[in-house]
Amino acid sequence: MTVDAALLTALTVLPFLGSALSSSLHTRARTAAAALAGFVSVAGLSLVIALYPRVAGGEVFKHEIAWLPSLGLNLSLRLDGLSWLFALLITGIGALVVLYARYYMSAEDPVPRFFGLLQAFMGAMLLLVASGNLIQLVFAWELTSLFSFLLIGYWYHNANSRDGARMALLVTSLGGFCLLLGVIVLGGIAGSFDVDAVLAAAPVIRAHDRFVPALVLILVGTFSKSAQFPFHFWLPHAMAAPTPVSAYLHSATMVKAGVFLMILLWPVFSLSEVWYFGVSTVGLVTFLLGAFVAIFQNDLKGILAYSTISHLGLITLLLGLATPAALVAAVFHVLNHATFKAGLFMAAGIIDHETGTRDVRKLSGLFRAIPITGTLAIIATAAMAGVPLVNGFLSKEMFLTETLAVHSGTFLDRLLPALATLGSAFGVVYSVRFIHQVFFGPPATELPKEPHEPVAWMRLPIELLVLIVLAVGILPARVVGPLLGSAVRSVLGDATPAYSLALWHGFTPALQLSLLALAAGGTAYAVFRRYLADSPDEGPPWAGRLRARRVFDLALTGLVRGAAAGLRWLGTTRLQPQMLLLTLVALGAGLLPFALLAARGAGWLLPIGPVRTDPLEPAYLVVWVLGGAFALLTAYLAKFHRFAALITLAGTGLAMVLTFVWLSAPDLALTQLVVEVTTTVLLLLGLRWLPRPVPAIERTRQEQVRATARRLRDGVVAAVAGAGVALLAYAGMTLDPANRLRFDSLRSYFVENAYEGTGGRNVVNVLLVDFRAFDTLGEITVLGVVGLTVFALLRRFRPPRELLGGTRQQQRQAEFDRAAGGREVGDTATDFLYVARTAMHLMFPVLALFAVYLFMRGHDEPGGGFAAGVTMAIAFILQYMARGARWVEERLRVLPVRWIGSGLLLAVLTGAGAWLFGEPLLTSYYEYADIPFLGRLPVASAMLFDLGVFVLVVGATVLMLVALAHQSVRAPRTSAREDAEPVREEVEAE
Amino acid sequence: MVDLTSRGIGGPITSQLVDLTPHLPVLPIVLPLAVAGFMLLLEERRRIFKAGLGAATMAALVLASFVLLNAVAGEADGVIVYRLGDWPAPFGIVLVVDRLAALMLMVTSLLGLASFLFAVSGWAIVSPRFHSLFLLLVMGINGAFLTGDLFNLYVFFEVLLAGSYGLLLHGSGRARVKAGLQYIAVNLGSSMLFLIGCGLIYAVTGTLNMVDIMRVAADLSTHDATLFRAGLAVLSVAFLTKAGVWPLSFWLPVAYPVATPPVSAMFVIMTKVGAYVLLRTVALASGVPETGVVEFLSPWLLYGGIATVVFGSMGLLASSHLPRIASYATLVTAGTLVAAVGTSDQRVISGALYYMIGSTLATGAAFLLAELITRLRPAEAPQAADAAVEPVFGDDYETSLQTDFEGYEVGIAIPAGTAMLGGAFVVAALVLAGLPPLSGFLGKFAIVSGVLSGGPELSWAAWVLAGVVLFSGLATLIALMRKGIDAFWRPGEETVAEVRSLEALPIGILLALCVALTLFAAPVVTYLDATGAYLANPVEYAKNVLEFGP
Amino acid sequence: MMELVTAVGIGVVAAAGVWLVLRPRTFQVILGMSLLTYAVNAFLLTMGGLRVGAPPVLESVVAPDPAEYVDPLPEGLVLTSIVISFSMTALYLVVLLTSRGLTGTDHVDGEESP
Repeated sequence: MTVDAALLTALTVLPFLGSALSSSLHTRARTAAAALAGFVSVAGLSLVIALYPRVAGGEVFKHEIAWLPSLGLNLSLRLDGLSWLFALLITGIGALVVLYARYYMSAEDPVPRFFGLLQAFMGAMLLLVASGNLIQLVFAWELTSLFSFLLIGYWYHNANSRDGARMALLVTSLGGFCLLLGVIVLGGIAGSFDVDAVLAAAPVIRAHDRFVPALVLILVGTFSKSAQFPFHFWLPHAMAAPTPVSAYLHSATMVKAGVFLMILLWPVFSLSEVWYFGVSTVGLVTFLLGAFVAIFQNDLKGILAYSTISHLGLITLLLGLATPAALVAAVFHVLNHATFKAGLFMAAGIIDHETGTRDVRKLSGLFRAIPITGTLAIIATAAMAGVPLVNGFLSKEMFLTETLAVHSGTFLDRLLPALATLGSAFGVVYSVRFIHQVFFGPPATELPKEPHEPVAWMRLPIELLVLIVLAVGILPARVVGPLLGSAVRSVLGDATPAYSLALWHGFTPALQLSLLALAAGGTAYAVFRRYLADSPDEGPPWAGRLRARRVFDLALTGLVRGAAAGLRWLGTTRLQPQMLLLTLVALGAGLLPFALLAARGAGWLLPIGPVRTDPLEPAYLVVWVLGGAFALLTAYLAKFHRFAALITLAGTGLAMVLTFVWLSAPDLALTQLVVEVTTTVLLLLGLRWLPRPVPAIERTRQEQVRATARRLRDGVVAAVAGAGVALLAYAGMTLDPANRLRFDSLRSYFVENAYEGTGGRNVVNVLLVDFRAFDTLGEITVLGVVGLTVFALLRRFRPPRELLGGTRQQQRQAEFDRAAGGREVGDTATDFLYVARTAMHLMFPVLALFAVYLFMRGHDEPGGGFAAGVTMAIAFILQYMARGARWVEERLRVLPVRWIGSGLLLAVLTGAGAWLFGEPLLTSYYEYADIPFLGRLPVASAMLFDLGVFVLVVGATVLMLVALAHQSVRAPRTSAREDAEPVREEVEAE
Repeated sequence: MVDLTSRGIGGPITSQLVDLTPHLPVLPIVLPLAVAGFMLLLEERRRIFKAGLGAATMAALVLASFVLLNAVAGEADGVIVYRLGDWPAPFGIVLVVDRLAALMLMVTSLLGLASFLFAVSGWAIVSPRFHSLFLLLVMGINGAFLTGDLFNLYVFFEVLLAGSYGLLLHGSGRARVKAGLQYIAVNLGSSMLFLIGCGLIYAVTGTLNMVDIMRVAADLSTHDATLFRAGLAVLSVAFLTKAGVWPLSFWLPVAYPVATPPVSAMFVIMTKVGAYVLLRTVALASGVPETGVVEFLSPWLLYGGIATVVFGSMGLLASSHLPRIASYATLVTAGTLVAAVGTSDQRVISGALYYMIGSTLATGAAFLLAELITRLRPAEAPQAADAAVEPVFGDDYETSLQTDFEGYEVGIAIPAGTAMLGGAFVVAALVLAGLPPLSGFLGKFAIVSGVLSGGPELSWAAWVLAGVVLFSGLATLIALMRKGIDAFWRPGEETVAEVRSLEALPIGILLALCVALTLFAAPVVTYLDATGAYLANPVEYAKNVLEFGP
Repeated sequence: MMELVTAVGIGVVAAAGVWLVLRPRTFQVILGMSLLTYAVNAFLLTMGGLRVGAPPVLESVVAPDPAEYVDPLPEGLVLTSIVISFSMTALYLVVLLTSRGLTGTDHVDGEESP
């Protein structure tokens, strides 16, 4: 890396370092912070100056640091005459602003944050102008928006700052996103994001059919940044920022970023119609509008803000004219405007600082109090108005010359000189008003403070700037000739026109126009000054309430309200519509391929195999008829006859069990059976806590109609969904036998390896504990998790108030007991179904044994860990039914949560045991052994795994039942003591 | 094929020490499962120990996924296949680690570690058995990323859903139970669809191994192909629901904001599971073009994704409650990812993956931050849901005429805690809104440039996608800026937020990762580009999965 | 014929389930879920054709002929899904009870629809 490369890198890195350092300073270390910032900016300035030789001749100096080659993103620094000029402005004015701010900001302000942000902005801005890569430029572009946001909002405790900041960020980053899109399109056309590559590809780009979109998108970005109509409105509101920020960001540098980009890409874009009309029109409108509105501002900074808008419009207009000479004028004016406008902002700041107000209506006759500042302000204002002998005059005259030169011969073009003069005249008006109303006239009466000259250091920056203003104004060629030359040459290259930087070109038409504008402006002010002096509120007359910021607010509020409406319209927070949508979408998806097939004219039902005519056992038919009937009954009864619905549901369940038996799936039948029992019991336990179903009372007529319509709709949907499922099911069952071959590969593998591989005869069980044991591991995890969740939920369970004190039945029993003599309350409940309950009680050992049996034979016969586990759990349920929750919980020695844990561990450790043999997880090992009473049985590691399943299932199922059943114990107590007492810990863990 | 499955060290049990390296692929599932099981044996009150154990487990998972990531990143298309029970595919279940899976594991374990740390700093104690539930959720997510078997995928979906039910309801309370009722119902529905689709696909192809399915699907009669697609379509509906794609996404903004902060943060990865599975499906299918699956699915994914981004952006604009904003941001990310899958353009996909990493971490951080930020304004209790949309800019500014020197000219020195929160908020916001200088910008740039570099003729969908991706950024910006200004800038009775270090740490970790993601973008992007390229034609993947026996 | 009967039966059960799932009361929904579970399990089992009287329990352990047995895989899957749906039903039951306790209503949205 050459020395210059190092310098250039340092230039972009230094400010960020400074920013980081400064944010680490103590909040009161104002001098240190200012010194640091000052050092950084002065160092930056000297680096810029040191780099001048590399660009003096109009050549380009580049330095690349690889970062993301695959995305075409490298940290690429590029310096040419143009960016050098901007870098000079950024660092130079930066240094002056820092000095100014040191004395401007109040002593109590936590300025390290301020200076930190200021330096960070400086870095971002330098990175922007020194970008050799368009994406990197956008990157820096957004950064400047960000720091501008934070700087405007620096005094965030006042509403204007917050809103100004918010608005600036929104507008500029909206533009930023457009810019990004445009640049991506542009890069796509050019095949690279490298600036020079893009410039080189100019002809290709102009020919491309995505040229216009790219151009428009990029222009939106630049206009929003450079406050061009219709995006201009954010700038005046950005004036809520501390004045140094306004001077630096919002007049000298950041708002010039858009202009910079337009100049940079000028060679690519300027030859197109869209550019000529779009840019020059927008520029012209902004130029006139800004100047006109500025006249009526009562806030000093307001006047300067709109004047800035107007001058940016002027520059844009020049660029839009698309002639080399106009470009020269534009670049020149960028330089001049930056100097005099920054000076003016600082002056305004001093006035504010000294008098405590910025309201021109309050201010008057300040010249006596602050003559020096006054003089400086007057000179700077002269430049703003374009008075001879100051720099503003020269570029303004170039501008008028350009407007006079005939270009396209369109209507706009002919009107241009007149409009330009008019705009300049407006400029004269507000400039004169600025000076006259503030500095002359009678001494101001109601000022918050007594004005004095500020400390010399605070005035120094303005003095320097005004010095430049004059120097350039008097000896332009000598002072800025070379800088301007290199800048322009770097853009135009050989197309650089011959231009003369001189004070006197003779009594040219342009000069005449200038004088005309001065005269007209002066007279206009003389005529209207009364009116202006006490104009009620800022904003021109007959513009009325129409303000861009109102439009902006309305737009944004509209956007948000619209979004909310859209959310309500396109979304829902209720369950039923979602279930309906899910059903419909699934239905559509499932039938889509059929539809596509039909669309190809192959007919809807091609995928449906022929109806087989194999004999149908009547019994099977009966099973399904009953199953279906029960299902429909359930649907019918579910609302008002819950208990009956449960029974019918169980009926369907039994039909399933029988089907499983029929379809040679004994394991399924067994499992389904035990699960059926458990589920039913759970639901029964739950029933008790549901509110009594109330028939929906449709109040009005059309509510009834709507309800009926809803049911009808759901009915149809359900019917169609059912038909769809049936269709798919049938299609799935009747695939042509050709496919069977494929199945056999898997089936044969399982059947053949079942015994050799795992020592099991029951292939399904082998599948579960060996071939696909991993599924089972997941499955029991689900069960365990659910168990834990249920437990956690029910600990906090609050029974509904109306159910406290037991069910109606319990109450009636209690009544009876109290009434009849010699009976304890609860005796009836105890005696209820005594025999049956004793029987259930005795079932426990039997069921337990059966469970063990199921478990042991699982590997060879239908059965297995899960079925066994649930059976075991059923044994416990029966005890609950027989003896009631209290009795069981007192004797229960199962610690469900631990059982769950042990089950999981046992299963997973068995699986991991294979690791000891260097085998993958769940690799099984088996041996046949003679076990007394049970005979020759396989002792397989898979069996240990199955044991884990068993343990977990017992734990989880019992846990659910305990937790649910326990509520009946709690409810009555709860009625006594309000706070729900948690399930006794010993049920959960001793 | 990366050789982790080499079973060189078999033999006598006497070899005391077990070499875990070959079993690394299954560790992300087995480890949390075993630890969770063990924790259940401990009593409820041994929280400190459990917290430590859990944190150690999550850290171990980070390590494991890092090793796996390096292993597969080693070669162009590195794939590790792990045969469970030593049964070869398609007969047994296999786990497959490739670049994509490894990446998802990495993100999951990092997000998981952070969320877990945040949880044990307080939230873990509001209901019993939090630690186990959390680990089991992680196990489920990892399983879904790893498995190469369709039905096993269903099982792991159920595991992670069961875990999410438990965690969503963690702490109980009216809002959570109401949300849970809905969340569970919708997901039960989608699980049924999963089974139906799974069944149809098995009926046609006679296998469950995903690679094998595609292999078989390559030559099907029109008859079977139709049925196969029907199954695939139904299956995709289940996936789209999990991914939160409009119009199947309404459960998400209901459920996520009401969960406890660490849980919401962890949930951010769950929508990605759905998107991941869709990406996996399309990738496997694109390896076997004869199936025509890609052409069949892609348009729906593209449109669905775009619709989701739009819907999410609307939600962002209409929300002012940070958890809600984060929920919609989750939707936007998911939508972007799904749409990217729909383009089946490898540049777009790799860009979307890069964007996904950053936004996942940042969204997680936002969920965690939300709770801390409310401490700034204890007076204004956080309302569970948004009130009706408040006017964007409430206050009146008739007078832009205001001087710097009328009493309020002095800025406020920010207390450290608040500054830390503010900084964290800004970082998260930048990532989510896709603004410089953080990863979000790069991600969106990569996506948009990928979309727009589609040659001379661009489909309108491409323009729309590019547009909505950027628009969603603007919407995020508006929402977060409004929230940020309201939380940090609006004057009010501020209290200095007390942030415990154990709360700050996880947020710090997540955001530091976001920053690192930007600084070291080059290696990440290189990795992702390779991933995209390899997903476009995963031959190796298929070969390794199906090759029989060693 | 068997296929037809089975398919129609499954369709009917599914339809009843769907209808219930679309209802506003939690109890209706949970019954609907159970019905759907039945339908889906039966659906899953029948995938790949029906087979009567060929349970996958090996009679002879030496060189068994696969053709004699039904395809065991769907059965394995259904077993798993039975267990999972059982736990989900239990969970949903408890959640709806808790919701009813906390919100006072048994509406699926935890509040009566407007």
